[in-house]
Amino acid sequence: MAGITREEVERVVALARLSLSPEETDRMSRELGAILGYVETLERLDTTDVPPTSHVLPLATPLRDDVPSEPIDPGLAVSNAPRHEGSAFVVPKVIEGEEEG
Amino acid sequence: MSGPLGTLSELRDALDAGELTSSALVAASLERAATLGASLGAFIRLREPEARAEAEAADARRRAGRVLSPLDGIPIAIKDNLVRAGEVTTCASRILEDFVSPYSAGVVERLDAAGAIVVGRTNMDEFAMGSSSEHSIFGAVRNPWDSTRTPGGSSGGSAVAVAAGIVPVSIGSDTGGSIRQPASFCGVVGLKPTYGRVSRWGLVAYASSLDQIGAFGRSAADVATVLEVIAGHDPRDSTSLPEPSPPCVEALEADLSGRVVGLPREYFVEDGMAPEVRTAVRAAVAELEAAGAKILEVSLPHSEFAVAAYYLIATAEASSNLARYDGVRYGHRASGVSDLSDLYDRSRSEGFGDEVKRRIVLGTYVLSAGYYDAYYRKAQQVRTLLRRDFDRAFSSCDVIATPTAPELPFRLGERAADPLRMYLGDVYTVSANLAGLPGVSIPCGLADGVPVGLQLLAAPLEEAKLLGVAAAYQRQSDHHRARPPEEA
Amino acid sequence: MSGVPHPDYEVVIGLEVHAQLRTRSKLFSPAPVSYGLPPNHSVHPVCLALPGVLPVLNRRAVELAIRAAVATHCTVHPHSVFARKNYFYPDLPKGYQISQYEEPIATGGWLDVPVPDGDATRISRVRLHRIHMEEDAGKSIHDPAVVGSDATHVDLNRAGVPLLEIVTEPDLRSPVEAVAYLRTLRSVLRYVEVSDADMERGNFRCDANISLRLHGAEELGTRTELKNLNSFRSIEAAIEAEIERQADVLDSGGRVQQATMAYDPATGRTRVLRLKENADDYRYFPDPDLVPLVIPSDAIEGVRASLPELAEARCERFQVEFGLGEGDARILTESRPLADFFEAAAREHGAGQSVANWILRDLLRALKEREIEVDGSELSPRAFARLIGLVDEGVTTVKAARELVPHLVESGGDPEVLIRERGLEAVSDTDLIGRAVEEVIAEHPADVESYRGGEKKILNFLMGRVMQRTGGKADPGATRALLARRLDGEEGV
Ligand SMILES: [Mg+2]
Ligand SMILES: [Zn+2]
Repeated sequence: MAGITREEVERVVALARLSLSPEETDRMSRELGAILGYVETLERLDTTDVPPTSHVLPLATPLRDDVPSEPIDPGLAVSNAPRHEGSAFVVPKVIEGEEEG
Repeated sequence: MSGPLGTLSELRDALDAGELTSSALVAASLERAATLGASLGAFIRLREPEARAEAEAADARRRAGRVLSPLDGIPIAIKDNLVRAGEVTTCASRILEDFVSPYSAGVVERLDAAGAIVVGRTNMDEFAMGSSSEHSIFGAVRNPWDSTRTPGGSSGGSAVAVAAGIVPVSIGSDTGGSIRQPASFCGVVGLKPTYGRVSRWGLVAYASSLDQIGAFGRSAADVATVLEVIAGHDPRDSTSLPEPSPPCVEALEADLSGRVVGLPREYFVEDGMAPEVRTAVRAAVAELEAAGAKILEVSLPHSEFAVAAYYLIATAEASSNLARYDGVRYGHRASGVSDLSDLYDRSRSEGFGDEVKRRIVLGTYVLSAGYYDAYYRKAQQVRTLLRRDFDRAFSSCDVIATPTAPELPFRLGERAADPLRMYLGDVYTVSANLAGLPGVSIPCGLADGVPVGLQLLAAPLEEAKLLGVAAAYQRQSDHHRARPPEEA
Repeated sequence: MSGVPHPDYEVVIGLEVHAQLRTRSKLFSPAPVSYGLPPNHSVHPVCLALPGVLPVLNRRAVELAIRAAVATHCTVHPHSVFARKNYFYPDLPKGYQISQYEEPIATGGWLDVPVPDGDATRISRVRLHRIHMEEDAGKSIHDPAVVGSDATHVDLNRAGVPLLEIVTEPDLRSPVEAVAYLRTLRSVLRYVEVSDADMERGNFRCDANISLRLHGAEELGTRTELKNLNSFRSIEAAIEAEIERQADVLDSGGRVQQATMAYDPATGRTRVLRLKENADDYRYFPDPDLVPLVIPSDAIEGVRASLPELAEARCERFQVEFGLGEGDARILTESRPLADFFEAAAREHGAGQSVANWILRDLLRALKEREIEVDGSELSPRAFARLIGLVDEGVTTVKAARELVPHLVESGGDPEVLIRERGLEAVSDTDLIGRAVEEVIAEHPADVESYRGGEKKILNFLMGRVMQRTGGKADPGATRALLARRLDGEEGV
């Protein structure tokens, strides 16, 4: 797991929904390369049979009673939207079927 | 009143004695924030009319004998990543420049209920990503001890607001050292509580499993007072601990006899830290010993892997947490977008700064197909090992003492071109976040005219013990009474 | 081709159903679950993914998921984990969906599915791969009539609604089998009151993974995924169309490409929505805002003990206990309210088959006309049993009772009182009937003559006249007997 190629950076940048100029991409490749090079120290550590920890909390997830709250005022819900029409958010036309999930 | 404000306990005594009104106190705080605070870049926004009105209400309460809490009528500053209904929260990011929250953070609600008066929102690294408070659309925060140096970060503004005597106490957040390191660089006390102690509801997330809200003050007693107000269970945060707010203040009187302070052998290796830091921390340990503590060498064998694990986990979580900034429901949207891809790619690229983009890309890479096991999963396994290290160490000691940062505050702009070097500065602080431990940085001397911090760590939920040791140290030493040169 | 196997290829189908859990609030947000409101009228800061919000899991949703899992013979895991599935889409406000990935709440169950096979029914056991909980996305409104040609509207009312995703093994071998499975699953989910499973409201949605392989082949073919099928008819037609399309590709020497497909009912064909490339990189990882879901084993046992008898078991019991035929029993147990109604009425009345006949012949029609289920009607099982009893006792006629059923469904009431008030008593008074018979004979001398001359069919005509004269209240058996006796033998009174 050494370094990172320019192509990999481009793939990940697209996945993260960012766009970088060619110079920014070069710089990102260099910087990530250095960081990933450092992260290689982890290879020296044998973690076979070590359970991963997502959280150090000694908790099970708490459960909430199924009691609905008052919904937020629809005008307030869209009050920060760069574009809205009525109470709906508006984005540029999306081709139907691009949905994932 | 143009000089620095006193400590929280001093101000409270003055209010109680009727020597001071909250209105006068808040006016002084606001004035100092607008002058010295502005020259240091400490604040993003002041709550000028609101704070004055709230102060008058606090004075009225006090006259009526209805004081709400030890923070009632006290000016306080909060980091600009905590939302309040009807107010802008920016996280120092262009992407949230105009965002008005329709709801309030749990901590903000508790401060309000306690009568604390938020005078302003402090500057920070964008989305709390950084160790220098330089990555802000509002410009860099400056260290009050030496304005060519960084105050540390990401809660730099909150540390500076206390160090410069603008407020007696302030609120920050700590994901990998973002309270403790700026506390160290600015010569104040900074507490990161146990993970889950303080509700994250309304804290704009950076890395959810590591983020924790905490406090700055000039003494251990002052941060203990703030902790008692802001801590406690919140059913809106699934990672909130069920324990009630810890009674810390009364535990601060205990002396150090019988206390065992552990020194991790791995942290005190030859080239681990700057010589000035080593000298100051060694001296602090000697003072602890002189005050009755027993010093014991302990081992945290996986420490050298902590920074790598931290940056993998933090950036992975961040890449997902920051996906919501897409220009659809709130936040910056690029103009003249042609289609959805354009909307996403340009809004996000324009809205986020370089450091945030760097961490999003790194985190996305870490989680992406084929790399998850080598990076993310491995980092989580390291987390398990680190926690076991600490569990073992705390079976033989009460607190662990380390430097907070391996070096003195560096020059502004010095690390801009070398993010890895910046990340390595977090070597002593990230383990507490990975293991969920409470940690505090306390001033332990000056070197080269700038402060050095001693970090103390304790087992989960042991804030009272932790702050007890810190308070005992401060009874022995005067380092926390040192003030930056008054320029304004 | 639906019932018949494909001549060249074996069809392999796996289904993923998304069923909306019957909760009042959302899975991780306290916003109310609503239907049909204007955009963003049922949201909370959590649904909007505002900066700083956090998820808290709905207890009821977990209970319902356990019920569904136990009812489908799955193993419920005491420890399960919520993960983030990361992708960008305007109706996905956080940029990720909270779902379960490596550690779902339940795995490894099965359902026995009655599949129509010619005139008979065979039982096919369909294995379930897993059941997990997840949140729904919002709704993107593309309709140009609503939003214009250059925009898409985003409505987050549905965002965060709790879903159960139920995934089968690739055990289904035909479109008919697929639909039979879905009907069975829907029935189970409704029986245990986990989901309304109403396809029209989108709370029972199906994706189908389809591949073909040569008969006898071991390896599975490349599969495509048919998305968002929302009626049983379209599911069957869509799967058939996709089988045809894949068969054509294979017949012409081509290779099926992994893709997400959509079915167009207008053309009856499937089309590629998008090819599955390595672009699908969801970067799943455990949600750091949540800790693991822990379900104590006694909670699982508690659910198991509280679960109602399911359709399959009840169908068998009805056959044994009430002597019903399999067909009748199956219809009566399709929905739990109907089965409950039948069982209560049958116990009240005593003769199960008779009650079944009345339900199948009269009650279901009355319900269908009003587009309601039996639990939405005013008719109680006790009143229904009493109505049938009144016919049995000769108090009223079959005809009158049948006419009362729609009224009882609509407005309820006591059948006995209604019969009296409306004068629907059967007339068994021989004087009254006798008088009517005499009058009819007197009024129709020519017809009486013809009858007696051998045209026995005239009896029906005369019978009708007598019934008319009594207002339909005369007991038909007694009337016919009396009339025939008068015409055949006795010359006068
Ligand atoms: Mg799926
Ligand atoms: Zn799903």
